[in-house]
Amino acid sequence: MRTPYQNRFADIEPLLAHVEKPSRYINHEWGTLSEQDASYRACLIYPDVYDVGLPNQGIAILYAALNRAPGISCERGYIPWVDMADAMRTAGIPLLSLEGAAPAASFDVVGFHIPHEMAVTNVLEGLDLAGIPKFAADRGEDDPLVIAGGPSIYNPEPYCDFFDAILIGEGEEQIVEFCEIHRRLRDEGRSRAEILLELAKVGGVYVPPLYEVRHDELCTRWGYTVPVDGAEVPPVVYKRVVRDFGATDPLAQSIVPYTELVHDRLSVEVLRGCARGCRFCQAGITYRPVRERTADQIVSSVMRGLEKTGYDEVSLTSLSTTDHSCVKEILTRLNHRLEGTGVSVSVPSQRLDSFGVEMALAVAGEKKGGLTFAPEAGSQRLRDIINKNVTEEDLERAVHAAFEAGWRRCKLYFMMGLPGETDEDIVAIAELADHVLDIAREVVPKGQRGGLSVSVSVAVFIPKAWTPFQWCAQLDDDEVKRRQQLLLKSVRNKAVRVHYHDAETSLIEAVLSRGGRALAPVILGAWERGQRFDAWSEHFELDRWLDAAAACGIDLREVAHEEFPLDARLPWEHTSPGVSRGFLEREWRRALAGKTTADCTRESCTGCGVCPTLGAENVLIGERS
Amino acid sequence: MTVAEPTLFCLRVRYVKQGRLKHLGHLEVARTVERSVRRAGLPYAVTQGFSPHMRIAFSSALPVATSSVCEWYDLVLKSYVPAPEALERLTAATPKDLAPTQAGYIDMRATTLGLLITRQDYHIHLATSYTAEDIDRALGTVASLGKVNYLRGKKEKVLDLSATLAAWFVEQADGGVNITLKTRSSNEGSLRPEILLTAIDRVLTGTLETEPITSTGTPELACFTRIEVERADQYGEDEQGGRIDPL
Repeated sequence: MRTPYQNRFADIEPLLAHVEKPSRYINHEWGTLSEQDASYRACLIYPDVYDVGLPNQGIAILYAALNRAPGISCERGYIPWVDMADAMRTAGIPLLSLEGAAPAASFDVVGFHIPHEMAVTNVLEGLDLAGIPKFAADRGEDDPLVIAGGPSIYNPEPYCDFFDAILIGEGEEQIVEFCEIHRRLRDEGRSRAEILLELAKVGGVYVPPLYEVRHDELCTRWGYTVPVDGAEVPPVVYKRVVRDFGATDPLAQSIVPYTELVHDRLSVEVLRGCARGCRFCQAGITYRPVRERTADQIVSSVMRGLEKTGYDEVSLTSLSTTDHSCVKEILTRLNHRLEGTGVSVSVPSQRLDSFGVEMALAVAGEKKGGLTFAPEAGSQRLRDIINKNVTEEDLERAVHAAFEAGWRRCKLYFMMGLPGETDEDIVAIAELADHVLDIAREVVPKGQRGGLSVSVSVAVFIPKAWTPFQWCAQLDDDEVKRRQQLLLKSVRNKAVRVHYHDAETSLIEAVLSRGGRALAPVILGAWERGQRFDAWSEHFELDRWLDAAAACGIDLREVAHEEFPLDARLPWEHTSPGVSRGFLEREWRRALAGKTTADCTRESCTGCGVCPTLGAENVLIGERS
Repeated sequence: MTVAEPTLFCLRVRYVKQGRLKHLGHLEVARTVERSVRRAGLPYAVTQGFSPHMRIAFSSALPVATSSVCEWYDLVLKSYVPAPEALERLTAATPKDLAPTQAGYIDMRATTLGLLITRQDYHIHLATSYTAEDIDRALGTVASLGKVNYLRGKKEKVLDLSATLAAWFVEQADGGVNITLKTRSSNEGSLRPEILLTAIDRVLTGTLETEPITSTGTPELACFTRIEVERADQYGEDEQGGRIDPL
């Protein structure tokens, strides 16, 4: 029998007095949408704590879309922090949804958002707390369908055994179709297997048990995945895309939390996609094509959103907001409308040129904290390899303009271990940082130089599926550590601070980014050894992962540090964002030759294949600068 | 030379904290009230300076898990909105468990809430098998000590009961005991009911000397299976000890 849908808040309330941030668990926020007497129920879970998960825009969009659909109620779920999870286990209380405080297992469908690879142990934590079998193969007729979606499912294989279906791409139309078909089949009394076979025909839906892994052609150690014999399912599941993005409501967010969040503000998605073509960047491929909203639509939804939510900050979100062809007009209009209200506008990530600084200035007002730029590589040679189309001159101008405009702190993001990187490129990071500080000292008047700071943050490059660097190996840890030391030694100025990301987390990210189905027992083993909240450094323990892998006869370092042959079939090619393999190979060869490729929203089509494959196209509402 | 400040109005609002929302912390309540003011579309004034923010001031912080029927805030407005209308708009824009219940204008130069309010009354329900008499005696024992030492984080602190505990009444109730506490607060400090309750628990278990008291949100105590604390009244006193209401 299906777990009954009933409100169990009274069971958790006594626990609240003894856990950190009880407001994570109380629901009753302003703007909650679900109607709880619907005939079909979905619970969407963000695999981290409430305060990290609530601002997620993907879930906000799907929550709004599902609750708009007649007869469907969608609630939210989060992973209780370790104190609450342990208290709930001790008290025998399962994972509950927020709105109805009902057991997750009582829903028709339970959806997990996969924001990044490190969230996967928390998916298992959630399923375990919910009392839902962790492997799709072990679920019965009474269990909910467990589905996944989000930015990090473009190599679904390492976690596909945990899900009945994975929704690839943009979900706002797809998830409603999925749930409506599921409801109809459920009401017709069809079996779980029959239902899943039908759902596999909804565009963009990958049903892992209907596909199998083979090794009989040239492939990697993980094999390649094809439909099982006789299954009438697409050999390649292409992502779903919203063709008329402008017709969707920019104001997905409705809930105003009590708990202080990581991103505590209104978000309005101003455009989708980025075609700059950085060769390491997965989002730059998987969110194509580029689609902009109009300035009128953006300004009016910001004003409507602020009125509805009462936030004092609005963020204009996208992969590259300052690339919007009307960004200047939008910011000018918003500043005018919001004058004297104490409400501020923010734009995530600055474009690395003087236009970027001009836009940053437009939103900063009197308050100028730090400005962040991402040159990604220290030398022009390496920036050309990764297709970061930024010249030394752009960078100098941007930094010059920023310090002149009054900023005193500057943060620079780089990657280490990029293909073709040499010691000279590492030294170049140090030189660039020193050079930025020199510019600052030249521009900033003597009396104000005390507060000047330049910091350098270096991440380890992780080769991602569906990028021109998907065949590359990750740099091994010892070499990462040597290059980190080289960087530290090469910085001249004491005022330049260097931070680098932990190579150990990057190792697991690389493994999960490029591995195959055979990793499922490793992930389970890591969770069984106590791994959860892997994205929180205080909870990440590499040894548990290594141990779990060793028990399966897998050496994780070998997995991460292995290069794939260019002509091999890759583990993820049966689920696709629409980019052509030929384009990725061509981009890889151009990278090796140090040749850059233009942005198709500024110059002509580069032939990535996304538009014709998905039947969509770039939508720009003006000329981009 | 002084620049004339444009005419401003100070709206004093009373609100509750109840139901599930009693689990909110003070900053969470403050943020929620500020957002309610913006949603209500009231013409709130904003501070000058680098980081402009709403001109609003709250009465003293209420601990997590404590409910109240008498919290207050002062909100500065740039233009006059009749108080009943302001109250109606705030009510429509506020979660009901933080609902405003009273609103009225005070002079811009009136005594601030922080200075005005020196008296707080609490209603406490303890689910316990001890009788009202046991609790009353234990409370008397604690009160006779005049002070209670406790730890807040790693800091050693002293709760001065002779200055903060004005009176108490204990009565038998359904499933336990009800206490009414009348307390005083000043710049020197105020009485946190959970510290007093912990001290009572230590007296009842005979461990007052051995177990140090640590101030946490809601303590887990041996003698009480459930504790409910509600702030029931907040007011000031004039020189003759007469009651002054915030509004």
